[in-house]
Amino acid sequence: MTNQLNAIERLAEVKQERMQKNLKARYAKEKRFQVYGIMSICLGMAFLAMLLGTIFYGGASSFMTSEIKLTINYDPDVIGVTDLTDEDELKWADWRGLLSTSLAERFPEVSGRSAVRQRNALVSSIAEYSLRDRLLANPEKLGTSEEIWIVADDEIDAVMKGQVDRTVPESERRITDLQLSLIDSLEAEGEIRQKFNTTFFTAGDSREPEQAGIRGAMIGSFYTLLVTLLLSFPIGVAAAIYLEEFAPQNRLTEVIEVNINNLAAVPSIVFGLLGLAVFINVFHLPRSAPVVGGLVLTLMTLPTIIISSRSAIKAVPPSIREAALGLGASKMQMVMHHVLPLAMPGMLTGTIIGMAQALGETAPLLMIGMVAFIADIPGGPLDPATVLPVQVYLWSDLPERAFVAKTSGAIMVLLGFLAIMNLLAVYLRKKFEKTW
Amino acid sequence: MTSSSLFLLLIIIVAAVFVLGRKRSVDVAQSVGGIRYLHSLPNYYGLLAAAWAAIPGVILLALWSAFQDVIIQNSVFSLLPESYQALSGSRLDLVWAEIYNLQKGIITEASDPAFYPAVEALNNLMTTSTTGRTVLVIALTVLGGVWGWRLIKPEQRARNQFEKVVEALLLASSMIAILTTVGIVFSVVFESIRFFHKVPFTEFVFGIKWSPQIAINAEVAGSSGAFGAIPLFVGTLMIAGIALLVAVPVGLMTAVYLVEYASSRVRSIIKPLLEVLAGIPTVVYGFFAALTMAPKLKGFFEGIGVNGVSSESALAAGLVMGIMIIPFVSSLADDVINAVPRSLRDGSYGLGATKSETVKQVIFPAALPGIVSGVLLAASRAIGETMIVVMAAGLAANLTANPLEAVTTVTVQIATLLVGDQEFDSAKTLAAFALGLMLFFVTLMLNVIALAVVKRFREQYD
Amino acid sequence: MTTNTNDELAQIFEGWSSTVGKPTLKDNARMTTRGVDVFYGEKQAIFGVDLDIGKNEVLAMIGPSGCGKSTFLRTLNRMNDTIDICRVKGDIHLDGDNIYDKKMDVVNLRARVGMVFQKPNPFPKSIYDNVAYGPRIHGLVTRKAELDEIVETALQKASIWNEVKDRLDQPATGLSGGQQQRLCIARTIAVSPEVILMDEPCSALDPIATARIEELIAELSENFTIAIVTHSMQQAARVSSRTAYFHLGRLVEVGATDKIFTAPEHRLTEDYITGRFG
Repeated sequence: MTNQLNAIERLAEVKQERMQKNLKARYAKEKRFQVYGIMSICLGMAFLAMLLGTIFYGGASSFMTSEIKLTINYDPDVIGVTDLTDEDELKWADWRGLLSTSLAERFPEVSGRSAVRQRNALVSSIAEYSLRDRLLANPEKLGTSEEIWIVADDEIDAVMKGQVDRTVPESERRITDLQLSLIDSLEAEGEIRQKFNTTFFTAGDSREPEQAGIRGAMIGSFYTLLVTLLLSFPIGVAAAIYLEEFAPQNRLTEVIEVNINNLAAVPSIVFGLLGLAVFINVFHLPRSAPVVGGLVLTLMTLPTIIISSRSAIKAVPPSIREAALGLGASKMQMVMHHVLPLAMPGMLTGTIIGMAQALGETAPLLMIGMVAFIADIPGGPLDPATVLPVQVYLWSDLPERAFVAKTSGAIMVLLGFLAIMNLLAVYLRKKFEKTW
Repeated sequence: MTSSSLFLLLIIIVAAVFVLGRKRSVDVAQSVGGIRYLHSLPNYYGLLAAAWAAIPGVILLALWSAFQDVIIQNSVFSLLPESYQALSGSRLDLVWAEIYNLQKGIITEASDPAFYPAVEALNNLMTTSTTGRTVLVIALTVLGGVWGWRLIKPEQRARNQFEKVVEALLLASSMIAILTTVGIVFSVVFESIRFFHKVPFTEFVFGIKWSPQIAINAEVAGSSGAFGAIPLFVGTLMIAGIALLVAVPVGLMTAVYLVEYASSRVRSIIKPLLEVLAGIPTVVYGFFAALTMAPKLKGFFEGIGVNGVSSESALAAGLVMGIMIIPFVSSLADDVINAVPRSLRDGSYGLGATKSETVKQVIFPAALPGIVSGVLLAASRAIGETMIVVMAAGLAANLTANPLEAVTTVTVQIATLLVGDQEFDSAKTLAAFALGLMLFFVTLMLNVIALAVVKRFREQYD
Repeated sequence: MTTNTNDELAQIFEGWSSTVGKPTLKDNARMTTRGVDVFYGEKQAIFGVDLDIGKNEVLAMIGPSGCGKSTFLRTLNRMNDTIDICRVKGDIHLDGDNIYDKKMDVVNLRARVGMVFQKPNPFPKSIYDNVAYGPRIHGLVTRKAELDEIVETALQKASIWNEVKDRLDQPATGLSGGQQQRLCIARTIAVSPEVILMDEPCSALDPIATARIEELIAELSENFTIAIVTHSMQQAARVSSRTAYFHLGRLVEVGATDKIFTAPEHRLTEDYITGRFG
């Protein structure tokens, strides 16, 4: 027996010496490995900080807008309208003239066609329509004049936000020296100001950055999520109840389960193809409508809701089921009266998380036409609409600098909603967390 | 009657049936000596009768609403002259819109007098359909309600029968998952078959030139377009590859650090932050990739003297996609590393191994199946991701191995081919469905394999 | 517990001073522990244990479950370090080196004090790689032939060589439970430790496999110092030369095995070995 031990006995003699020789290198490796781990985490966190930083830094300015104080004289001669109820006259009204006249009075020194054009470009190119709406709402103002704040053009806004480098030669700027001097004189008189951008939250989409808002997209997202919630929550919970409590162990059940697991990982754009081919081409539902978006997102979020609802049901202890059954309740009564109420917080948490996913989803909605430019605010789930993430996508493609800020601003709003939903889910989980 | 008011009326009828059914059960109970002698509680009799009323009516209403447009449209088109019936999908849609608007009175003059008979027919059909629907649905509901009401007897097992109905509804809800899969398969397969009639399968799978846009205009000579999808596959694989090169090591090391090294306090800070990273919508990543990452990379590479860097590079899209997938990989890896039993770690530490030696030589081999399955799932995600590549990778179908050039991917092409005007018989539109079929098939395979692998892994340690 | 109420125990442990018998050895001690306290968070699990383990002896530690015998064993090669909330106080020396000293390297310590666990835990590798694991990570061999020889010797010493010599490259998880546990012993002795700690090594095994491990322990004691925790008194009686009895975190009595089992001095020890509780 003992001679067998030779190798190990010999080892015992050299062991310490050999180990000590390696020890330093091994600890260095250990340190390095640990550093890799820390670096990995830092990389993720640094990226998160960079992403949020970029967006918040770039988006903050979209919540402010610039306005110019002008004296507007609602002169019937300028507008060319004497009767505000006459549709034919209104068709030919020169609302733009109101602004240019007013600007001409403010800056009488500006002359020459090019200079006048630059001067007129100080205010938003569609500010005239707000003047029109204002006058139509208050017809008695015709012929009077008032001082009001008019939304400035986005390039002027950029100057006010200090985003324009004045040292750059004029030819390389989108804003001219003349305009800069006009802004300076306005600023000196306190006739240009920055204020909270309410338009951003009250207006629909627009080609002009200073007039574009996210209200249309927010309402579109709301209707889309409403449809999704109304369909996916009951169906998801029902499916989860069936699979956990009633499904027999057979092939059909197996097929359903495999399907749910696989659907959870199908790329979202494929659901868009489904929506296009089935809901729009076969059932002729309206394109670009939140109802179709809601249907597509329902199919997408169902697996999430079913899976989390099932684990919520699983977490209800068998003792409660046995107690109910022992009192003579039928299986359905046991489920509806005892299991479902206890599993409800978990199901709600899962549903909120599913809704948050749906809120951030973009790709499938592109397929069903929710990318159209829609300036009107949708009035119902059948009206053409877009949603917040698609609005982000649309704006990110536009060249104007102001739209870059708007995109970031829209992202901030989107992230805000997502944060609220997730915090709600966390709160629900914490509040109803039970250990049986 | 509009759909919504009809639906409201249905609800009222069903509610009435419930009340009447409940009352009848109480009445019939009197004859046998009180409700004690009923098989079930009165409510169940009411509910069962209401179910008899509601289910047939609702099904009819749903089917009718789903198919009436298609049927009406087809019969209206059959009245149009031959030349219109031969039109392609989107033009036919325009014709349909015109007829529809004429019928509504939104426009008053037709571009072609041949439309007037069609408008007339549409008018008649819509009136007939709406009336027919209202009458039939209400009749069916009332009949069902009467039938259910008449069935009520003391010995009727109302509760059991109603519970069967509910169970059937629950089953129907879970069947939606199967229906969805079937829907996906049908929607991509049918259009793909039509596509492969126009473009040979081999050309699609092995062709190296992709330029579907030319195909829009049939008048231009030699305008069949090119539908060789190899540049798309290569682009997809390159971007997904870059993403995995970032996500797998980083995600894995993140999980290892969190499970094996980090204190519970660090874990409780980092894990929610990773969830934040996972919860950010992909369109935000796309925005970041296109507007921040791509210019920075371009600047960096030009700074070190590399020229010809595209402003929409595969690298920018891949890197950002990789970051997006990190939390996904790390949470999957976290699960499998945690599933490796403690006894294996003890065995290794007991022999004097350091933590990193234990991780590399014991935990990784033990968790390998789980990690492989996680990588497969991550790959499936990367391949199917759309927004980042749409916004940051570009449209040019370059067949290149250089990650600094613009490439395009399968998902980008699906999105761009289907956004905007569609003609459902042009190869261009159908190509999107063929690409969708490929995408669905590949990601499905990856998932099936991944789930099978991870199932075996779980069985090993449970 | 049938004979001792908690009050009685409290009385017995009130002003706990010393262990009955001879916990310390004059010479020949390989490991010594003095005044060892172990805490899990706020809770104290081990109270002032003094105990020596002699060269080439088999020391058995017995006691009712939850008495801290496994915890104590795990302090001997600092396996408790892997549990965050665990703190150890007192002195533990191995051949005169304080193992909780800052300068003591835990990797080195565990190469000197090996451990065999309750459940066989072969790595998901081949049989050969399992045994070669220790020598490889510590860099103990310079040539393949040397490693082959060590693996063979360790497997022979663990009496499993004949069963596995033809399938060294097959996964160790394919072995039976008893074979796996002998493989784990081979894995431990392949790094030539001075002390082998065994934490209920047979609790997951059938009686035949248990008997083989017990024989093996006897053979190994020729070359190694062994401390074994067991829940089976018979096993302690069969394999050990000295036995220590633990109760509620205290070392109650130590002595030669035959003396402990025939003439225990402390009442608790007597109650335990006569089966009044346990």
